[in-house]
Order: sequence, then C-alpha cells, then structure tokens
Amino acid sequence: MTVIQTAGLTKQYGSLIALNGLSTTIGAGITGLVGANGAGKSTLIKLLLGLLTPSSGDAAVLGHDIRTQGTEIRRLVGYMPEHDCLPPDVRAIDFIVHMGRMSGLPPNVARERAADTLRHVGLADERYRLMGSYSTGMKQRAKLAQAITHHPKLVLLDEPTNGMDPASRDDMLTLVSKIGHDFGIPVLVTSHLLGELERVSDNIIVLDGGTLLRSQATSAFTEVTGVLLVEVLGEDQSQHRMGEALAAQGLPCRPRGSLIEVDPRGLPEPAKARDTIRDTAVDLSLGLVRIQAEHGQIQDIFRGEPARG
Amino acid sequence: MASRTGGVIHDIGYRPYEGRRLSEGSIAWSLFRRGYLEAFGIGRSARAKILPMTMAVLMLIPALVIVSVIVLVSLAEGFLNYSTYINIFSVGIVIFVAGQAPVLFTRDLRSGAISLYLARPLPTWAFALIRCASLAAAIFTISALPLLLMFIGAVSNEADFTDQASDFFPAVLSVLILSVILASVTGLISALTTRRGFAVGAILISLWVSSAFVTAVQAIADFNRMDGLSQFVGLLSPFSLADGIQSGLLGGTASFLGSPEGIGMILLYVVSSIVLVLGSLLLLIRSYRRKAK
Repeated sequence: MTVIQTAGLTKQYGSLIALNGLSTTIGAGITGLVGANGAGKSTLIKLLLGLLTPSSGDAAVLGHDIRTQGTEIRRLVGYMPEHDCLPPDVRAIDFIVHMGRMSGLPPNVARERAADTLRHVGLADERYRLMGSYSTGMKQRAKLAQAITHHPKLVLLDEPTNGMDPASRDDMLTLVSKIGHDFGIPVLVTSHLLGELERVSDNIIVLDGGTLLRSQATSAFTEVTGVLLVEVLGEDQSQHRMGEALAAQGLPCRPRGSLIEVDPRGLPEPAKARDTIRDTAVDLSLGLVRIQAEHGQIQDIFRGEPARG
Repeated sequence: MASRTGGVIHDIGYRPYEGRRLSEGSIAWSLFRRGYLEAFGIGRSARAKILPMTMAVLMLIPALVIVSVIVLVSLAEGFLNYSTYINIFSVGIVIFVAGQAPVLFTRDLRSGAISLYLARPLPTWAFALIRCASLAAAIFTISALPLLLMFIGAVSNEADFTDQASDFFPAVLSVLILSVILASVTGLISALTTRRGFAVGAILISLWVSSAFVTAVQAIADFNRMDGLSQFVGLLSPFSLADGIQSGLLGGTASFLGSPEGIGMILLYVVSSIVLVLGSLLLLIRSYRRKAK
C-alpha cells in the first residue's frame, strides 16, 4: 500500500533550496525520516500537509494531490509539530475533544475518543489538569494524542522525542511503535538523531541538505557490513603487533579505539580472513578476545559512502 | 492489543473510527462556538473568567438600574436613549475587547496551537474569519444585552412598543456594526504579536486615543462651526464611525458631535466602515497564511 508518493518534489525559498527533487515512495508501517537540522524534514511534512506549495515536482498523500486536495489530506492525516502547540490554560481532555471536533468528529465521538486516546498515551490520570502544568514528556504525549484522536489514516510526527530525557524518549518511541504496529496507522516520524529511529521504524529515509541520501528498509542499514572487529589481549603493544602482522599477510586493517578493524571485502577469499586472524594471534602468542562482525548504522552513510537508491 | 486474543482483560485496545465525519460547515460552527465561549473564559482556567464576566456584568448594571427606576416610578419612557447607551459606557466595551481579542488571536500564536488548526480541514481564511466572528459575537453580546434588558423593561412597563422598537432596533444594528468593526480591527492588532501585553496595550491605546482625538477635534470644530471637519474626523474612530452610521442612516440619536449629514457624507461613513473591516480581514488572513509557512 502506497501512503505517500513524491516525484521530483522541490521547495525553494529564494536562493535556498530546502528540498531538492525528492522522489520516493512511502508505504504502510513506520517510516523514519532522518537528517540533521535543516535537512528539509519539516519542509517535507508541511508540503505533504498541503500547507506549502512546492516550487516544482508533485506528491500525493493517500492518493490526494498535495497541490489541489490539501483539505482532503488534512482531514485524513494527523500531525504533531516539533514546537510547542498546547494552550497552557486549557485542560488536556477539553483540548483533545476540541481538536477531534476540528478534524470532523461528531461531539459525542470526539469526547469518547479523547478519553480513550489520552489513556493510550498514558495521560489518563492527568487528563483534567491544565496543560500548562505538564512536564515536557507529558506535553509531548498530549501533542501525540491530538494527532491520533480522530483515527487518521496517516500520522506525521515531527521530532516527537525533542527535548525529552532518555527514559521519556524511550517511552515515546514505544508509543510511536504502538501506533504504527498495533494500531495499524502508517507513521512518518522525523528525528535529527540519526540512530534513534532504528529501533522502531520499518523503513528509513535519509535527507541531507534537502537531498535524498537513501531510502530503504531499516534492516538494510543495520545488516552485516563484512568488516571484522578484532580484540586481542597480551603484553607490550599487542594491538599494534597484531595489526602489523595482519597487514603483512595482506589483510587491510587499521586501529579503531581498542579494536582492530579488518576489512577483507576486497580480497579474493574474504571468508578465510577469520582463520588468518586466529592463526596470527596464535603465532604471536596473544589472547584472542573476539572476532566480531560489524553491523551497519544509519550514521555510517554520512561517513562518505556513495548514495544508493 | 487489538490483534491479540486472550490474556489481557483490562486493556480494551485501540478502537478505530470509521464512522461519520462532519462537514467543514459543522467544524466551522464548532470553532465559532468554542471561540465565543472562550471569549468569556468558559472552557479555560478560573482566572480567565474574571475579566470578561466582570465587564459583562458591569455593562448590565446601568441598564438594570434604569429598568428598576422605570418600573418603580412607572415611567412611560426610558430616560436613557438606546443609541447613546453604548457610547456612554464604551469604556466597558474597550476593556472587554482589549482583554479578549488577544485571547482569540494572540493566544493561538503564542502557544503554537495555530499550527494544529492550520493542519486541519478548515482553510486558513476560514479560520481567521471564524475567529473574528466569535469575537464580534462576544462584543455584540455584552453590548446588546443591556439594550435588550432596557427594551424588555420599558415594553413590559406599558411603554409604547412601536416607539421603543423604532429606537431599539437601529441601536442594535449600530451595535452590530460596531462589533464587526472592533472585532476585525482588534483581531488584526492581536494577530500581529505573540505578546499578550503588547496586544492589550496596542488595542487600549488605539481605541482610546482615536476616540479621544475625535471627541476633542469635533468639540473644537463645533465651537468654530466647522461642520465639514467635524464630520470627516468622525471617520477616525470605530465608535464615531458606527455612531455616524446609526445617526445618519438609521435615524438614531448621535453621541458624537459630527454626525454625518447629506447622502455623500453618510455614504462615505458606510464605505469607510466596509473598507476598514475588509482591509483588516484581508491583512489578518495574510498574516495567518504566513504563519502556516
């Protein structure tokens, strides 16, 4: 199921290109949109909501054109902005009911769903409090509640973990995962912390300076890279001696912290590298602590790898 | 969770909603209604109710006194004119507007809630107009309620209905015009800042200064028998503008000295009001559109 489709989507402010020719397809499940601040994430979300007009290119959200069917899109989508958006002098329950009504829910349904939604985000006991008295974590939950109370067909979450402490951040990501996987609502969630969304998202889109760097399944980012990390134990610069011995046998390697990074990917028989490492350690009388296959991280694509897809 | 079976008893799980969704018209009505109530502090904190409720009550007290006197002394007519009531007690309206226009406009911008409204089905222009309509309705309520009270008091005390009605209805119409002008102008002022204090100050200054300026210049012009100047100056304040239309066009009693005379001047008052309202609304919509970007 295609939820969002963009083709050459571009947004330019004067000489600044906020989004440059983005062509991608987003399906069901949770899609993480990552990139540094200013990479074009918020611009993309506002374009998808029909709040901004693209400079060129097209996009469709749930089959609706963003240029001409903004109202239809905003009826079907839930949006949680990055910045503060809660009036402090209103009770959470009243505000969520009101926001449900603003999305077209009948009065009694809006009331029922507001109570349900606040329970789902963990604010059941605090729902009668003025939102001005909420902590950052609670405010983020209330913001999330207003985005899902009308049972949208797609949820756009802009930096939902912003400003939260590690524990609340974890809770928020668990909630995001719940929405995408248990509630069955497709989610597009952004973060400037590159590794954060690995845990919850099914697919990752990486933006850099308004350009698409990569778009693929999260598992593809975290698969085994082929590089081996070796740790040895011994006297007198054991790591250095081991590295030199491996290099002498034609294995490309370099130090990485207390480990040795061995990259056999260019060799005719990379599988034999493990044997060579074991034998070398024996020859040098060093204790071989581990040979570990390296897993990729989203951050790695900012370390100079060429862009794919 | 919804998809799992057995085990969890208390968690009723997520319930999707595939039922009826209301039209934009219903959403607009809901926004109008809530804005109207919020202008009186209803649905907000207890503190937020103090100012609007106090002003609403203070506006009613003189009317209550008048009605009581009419009933006790059995006067056949009210001794205070409907048309001039609003201008005599305009200070109450000014304080109400200065306090509540920022509630409907500045507050959304300051809290950031504006981004939630703009990400929902109502278009930006509709949101701006509905906010204005809520404020206009609130101003109309606190201004027209005393007139209604006096009217009911007079009529129920055997005053001539036709006599009373011919004074009452033009006055109500004039209050409506004043409410629309005040709502659009003060709405625009409030939407230009995220600081409530600035908005309150700017509204108080602009309404009081313009009103005082008009009164002063008209007094000087009247003393020097400069009728033309007096009538032109009346265009500069919302209160004298609405008063001019009701006295010139609807035949009510004027509160300001330079009531417009002649069809040309009356037309100028009407056109100026329309331009002021439409201009303010256009600028307001433009300002909200910028917020969406």
